[in-house]
Amino acid sequence: MKSNILFGRIALGVYFLIFFGYLIGPLVVMGMTAFNSAAFPSITPWQCFTYEWFGELFKDERILNGIKNSFIVGFGTVILSVSIGLAASLVLTQVWAKWRSTYYTVIIAPILIPGVVIGISTLVFWRKVSDSLGGVAFMNNGLFLTILGQSTFIASYCMLVFVARLQRFDPGLTEAALDLGASHTQAFRKILLPFMRPAIASAAVLAFLASFENYNTTTFTFGSYPTLTIELSQMVRYGINPSISALAVIIVAITVFGALAVEVFRRRSRLKAGEIKPAKGLPSWLFGNIATILLVLLSFTVIAMVSTAQSYSPQQCKADFKEARDIETRLKIEALQAARAAANAEATAASGATTDEPVEQGGSSGAFGGVFAPTNLEDAAGQGGDESSSGAAPASPFGGVFAPTNLEGASGTGDSETAPAAPASPFGSVFDPTNLEDSSGTSGN
Amino acid sequence: MKKPMIFSEFFKNNGVVLGSILFFLVAFWIIFLILLPQISMLDYSLHPNPLNLDAGERADEYTLKNYKYLIFGPEGASDAFNKVDLMVFVRTIIAAMAVTVMNLILCYPLAYYLGQSKGTGFVRLLVVMLIVPYWINEILRAFALRIIFAPSDNGLINGIMMKMGMIDQPYDFINADIALYAGLGYAYILLMLFPMYNVIESLDRNQIEAARDMGASWTRIHRRVVIPHAKPGIASGMTMVFMLSAGALAAPQVLGGTSSLWFTQLVYQWFNGTLNWQAGAAYAIVLLVASIVIVLFFMKIFKVNMGDIGK
Repeated sequence: MKSNILFGRIALGVYFLIFFGYLIGPLVVMGMTAFNSAAFPSITPWQCFTYEWFGELFKDERILNGIKNSFIVGFGTVILSVSIGLAASLVLTQVWAKWRSTYYTVIIAPILIPGVVIGISTLVFWRKVSDSLGGVAFMNNGLFLTILGQSTFIASYCMLVFVARLQRFDPGLTEAALDLGASHTQAFRKILLPFMRPAIASAAVLAFLASFENYNTTTFTFGSYPTLTIELSQMVRYGINPSISALAVIIVAITVFGALAVEVFRRRSRLKAGEIKPAKGLPSWLFGNIATILLVLLSFTVIAMVSTAQSYSPQQCKADFKEARDIETRLKIEALQAARAAANAEATAASGATTDEPVEQGGSSGAFGGVFAPTNLEDAAGQGGDESSSGAAPASPFGGVFAPTNLEGASGTGDSETAPAAPASPFGSVFDPTNLEDSSGTSGN
Repeated sequence: MKKPMIFSEFFKNNGVVLGSILFFLVAFWIIFLILLPQISMLDYSLHPNPLNLDAGERADEYTLKNYKYLIFGPEGASDAFNKVDLMVFVRTIIAAMAVTVMNLILCYPLAYYLGQSKGTGFVRLLVVMLIVPYWINEILRAFALRIIFAPSDNGLINGIMMKMGMIDQPYDFINADIALYAGLGYAYILLMLFPMYNVIESLDRNQIEAARDMGASWTRIHRRVVIPHAKPGIASGMTMVFMLSAGALAAPQVLGGTSSLWFTQLVYQWFNGTLNWQAGAAYAIVLLVASIVIVLFFMKIFKVNMGDIGK
């Protein structure tokens, strides 16, 4: 029985390790690449510790512009989706019971519709509206479309947050206010809104983050206002360098910082409310809380990194690394040269035998200027082809090129050898291998 | 608040000013952001592309041409069916299902553990740790996996394996689609975890104790007590993961191999490459309808209501 429990514990530990490794491992690896001087984001040939990618990042105009657009879109989306979500959640309790599930299905659907579809439908719809009104410029504007497209589904997220909070609201409070002579608007402002404030705050944060990281919808609607995510996707797809990782490090740091701060704040208010007791044996400002400790550690790390970044220079390390790599490359080249020399010796022996043969053939018949070009020697085939077509008038019975594989030099000698040979070639047919379209084209002439 | 769907009652309950603001916002959302765009996309997909008209065809007439193209391919093609696109479609659906099941298996134990443990500081911290990766950009998360799976000695796994001498040629994780599946699972794993965590948290621990006292085995407790209770959460997690991974674009673009496409990439190509929006809209509709039908089908089989989703 005891071994069973032990086994269970180990299994649980391994499983946790796998799960969190899967979840957090990639982010850690990506974070580390931001500090490696290798030009391609990687950690496995570790070169030098560097901060240069952060500098690179802040020099990038497109990234900065993307951040600006992301903030504009995020701001608009927060306002629109929080107000829509709040309204929808208030209406939910008032819809006629028969229609409630239909209504709920409709307003929850945007979460389940693929983002791509939302982006496309928004784009297509407003294009149509704008066309039917005779071309309204703002309706085709990237910011306008992106805000609407994102709000379509982010409002659903907000609605869910509000519904959860509203379940704890006592409608008697509003009724009491109304009985005491408050107008509906006053009751809303003084009673409901203060009660909803925490939910509004978390819905706004949620909406902003969802908007900031959205890609699927935005990629169809952004027009001429690429957001940060769009710029990142372009960079990731077309030209990768570790400044993306540097950006990721910054985003991760901000997120972790925010999450821990919220956790500490919450803990503190619960502590004040007397829901939990502080642990013994730790200074009171820590509240015996892991989150606080981590928060403090994180702040120290960031401060330490920023201050060392001013003085630290990886030049020496980089020079060392470059030297080491140069030596390695040189060794490789030498090894390659040695191998090639050996191969050459063999090949010349072989080609010496083969080049004799076509000369004899050409002398006796001059029947064809066959180019027996081996595959992957396009040059050779091209030259051979040219020659055989011009060879119709003056000379060259054949542009026979018997080049041994991978030896470009040999094809050259093949040409010069055949050039001075006997006149009158009946046809400059080129027997080229299938994948050499160039030469077959010229031989047709 | 008995039947305030009748407008006068609605305005009486909320006041004219507030009532009309609420009404306007909700109506704007439902009509202009949800319903009309979908309808106009459907309408769009039923029209031919004006730059691509067949002889005698008018741009404003209705046609099924775009849908036919997905099934039969261009007219006069050698194959009877549009094999390439259909294969992409089938592969997308099957792979999205596989990713969903994989996520379910991976998440269930953790959801159970978190849901059944008392809310200690450690558990709360675990939850925070879970949420943080989710707030990182989808693109960046895919990019992080690309660094790990890169098909040269730059890639983490290839680099380590080559250094250890396990392989001498880098293994191409990208073209083998391993990176893509890992990336899709990674992107939406929390949408599987949290709905399950929420429902399991609401399960009374005494029920499990009782079952155990009665001598139920460990598997039996899960099969007869925990899973039936967690069904709505499991359903909503699976629905979200399936829909989102079938409709994912970022992960396939960053992690997909050159030879294999994701269906959304075809849609993307219609819009940004070929500039045939009508065909793109048709493809998007096919994706949307297919995923909804599949979700409804499985909800029917497992007897789950739509109202449970998102709770």
